[in-house]
Amino acid sequence: MSPSEQAPRQDARVTTGVPGLDGVLGGGLVTSGVYIVVGEPGAGKTLFANQLCYHQGRGGARCLYVTLLAESHARMLANMRDMAFFDSALLPESVYYVSGFRTLEEQGLPGLLELLRREVRNHNTSILVLDGLVQAQEAAGSSRDFKKFIHELQVSASLSRFTALMLTSSNGPTVHPEYTMVDGILELRERTLGVRSWRELQVRKFRGGATLSGVHTFRISNDGLEVFPRLEARMRRTQPPDPGSERVHFGIPSLDALFPGGLAKGSTSLMLGPPGSGKTLMGSSLLAEGLRRGEQCLYMGFYESPERLLHKVAAAGMDLGEAVKEGRMHILWQPPAESILDILADQLLSAVRKHQVTRVFVDGLSAMSQAAPDSARMSSFFAALTQELRLSCATTIFSLETPRLFGPALDVPLEVGPSAVAENLFFLRHVELEGRLRRLLTIFKLRDTEYDPSIREFRISRQGIEVLPPFAVALDTLLTGLARHRSGGHP
Amino acid sequence: METVLVVDDEQGILEALADLLREEGYRVLTASHGREALERMSELRPDLVLTDWMMPVLDGPALIDRIRAEPSWAGVSLLGMSAVDVGPLRAHYPGIPFLQKPFDIPALMKQVRKALDGKRAASG
Repeated sequence: MSPSEQAPRQDARVTTGVPGLDGVLGGGLVTSGVYIVVGEPGAGKTLFANQLCYHQGRGGARCLYVTLLAESHARMLANMRDMAFFDSALLPESVYYVSGFRTLEEQGLPGLLELLRREVRNHNTSILVLDGLVQAQEAAGSSRDFKKFIHELQVSASLSRFTALMLTSSNGPTVHPEYTMVDGILELRERTLGVRSWRELQVRKFRGGATLSGVHTFRISNDGLEVFPRLEARMRRTQPPDPGSERVHFGIPSLDALFPGGLAKGSTSLMLGPPGSGKTLMGSSLLAEGLRRGEQCLYMGFYESPERLLHKVAAAGMDLGEAVKEGRMHILWQPPAESILDILADQLLSAVRKHQVTRVFVDGLSAMSQAAPDSARMSSFFAALTQELRLSCATTIFSLETPRLFGPALDVPLEVGPSAVAENLFFLRHVELEGRLRRLLTIFKLRDTEYDPSIREFRISRQGIEVLPPFAVALDTLLTGLARHRSGGHP
Repeated sequence: METVLVVDDEQGILEALADLLREEGYRVLTASHGREALERMSELRPDLVLTDWMMPVLDGPALIDRIRAEPSWAGVSLLGMSAVDVGPLRAHYPGIPFLQKPFDIPALMKQVRKALDGKRAASG
């Protein structure tokens, strides 16, 4: 049985030191595995390999970093010095850099293999990085020679118990047929759409365990690489807890009276409406009521800064500022620039878990959807996000802006997914009636509870929100924003 | 003409240093690791060995130990260079000057001249 046919040990994993990546890999790289990291120049391969070496070096491992035709070691180290993971004290005992280029030039792949084996032994290495595999591939006389090189490296990795990472630029197809023998292939890439760019990681192959499938976002900062696993892939598939008789109210008597049974705890609501229709205040009132009941609450917003938000809700009779100071009310503010969907989800869910938040208001699902380069993903992402929030028993409202202020059409600016996934659907609207602009509220859907489906006007004042009784006379087409009395006259 | 042996596993650096020193009028030998350096030295005794620290086959510290152990090489000047922080290396090898990579040409030439001047002074 060749080493590549042996079942990798499930208990022995090499952690990468890259936040999020070990979760994608099911715990890390398999010990004694041989992996290829492929990506265009600038994709982050060298940074990734260095981050792994310093992480492992800190844990006592000895790492050998062999370059072929790559940047000089001095330049590479100069680039690493600014990274949080870099530690000069680990050099040269724990992280050792050598060049194998001249050996490759003079002695070909057999010479390079001999050098790798000897240096691994000399330095008692448990992590080997070969940076510039494409040079070895070009030096190989044939595809067979290159396969033989990889096979022999695998034999050595198995015998000497080291884990190898081979870095290569994607010269031609991302996954060469010669790569089929390795234990895993990780692809790093940078994608662009218009002027926007983002980084992606995909596990193209992995022997020895399940990995999170699909494309995962990562970012590079002074902390090195940080991977944000695709939410849909890491979503827990367990059934959310039964809310039972636990119900949630807004704390606005005239609104709660429309559905006396309240919202199911842990349920998801969508609040649709055009700009200025009152979505932020309506959603914030759910949080204000939670704070009155001693619950932990969270607001995630994209447009209004925390200061502006607190000022705005205070003008409608809700003082959330004290709860912010006391650490009961948490505000995540993300200017709607170039956000990344999985990073937003990670921030939200991490905060919910950390503070044991029970009420969440995400003010701007449309801003969130702008963070998705692929709009078709939004439905599955929303389903996964709400599943995670339900599992945390967090009752959540998402506001969703409709583009049209008035007019006969009712636009929902997303696929049908979110409105189908949400248990509850509220719709806010402006209407011009009797020469005055009024705000309307209607409930489209409330799951598992009786509700009043009538169209109601509501008012916002310094005393708060008040939902008015039904209109005294029948009005057609109120929801279109162009109200008319049936008789054609005024009420 | 004084002879300088340059030892570095990074071929680009090795060739660049060799060219620079030749232009300055030195005879230059090159080796890509310590063992190759010992072979060169057995053929022609250099006045100065300028050696990298992390190298395959035989590294900088091992090369220096082997040079110091050979009586016929007593008096050969040694100059280390490394991309790792050379502060601890200087403390560990007090008799050897070190160049911190990356370095510029004036810094290199200054250290090379200083090492060779020290050798001349010691022998004179």
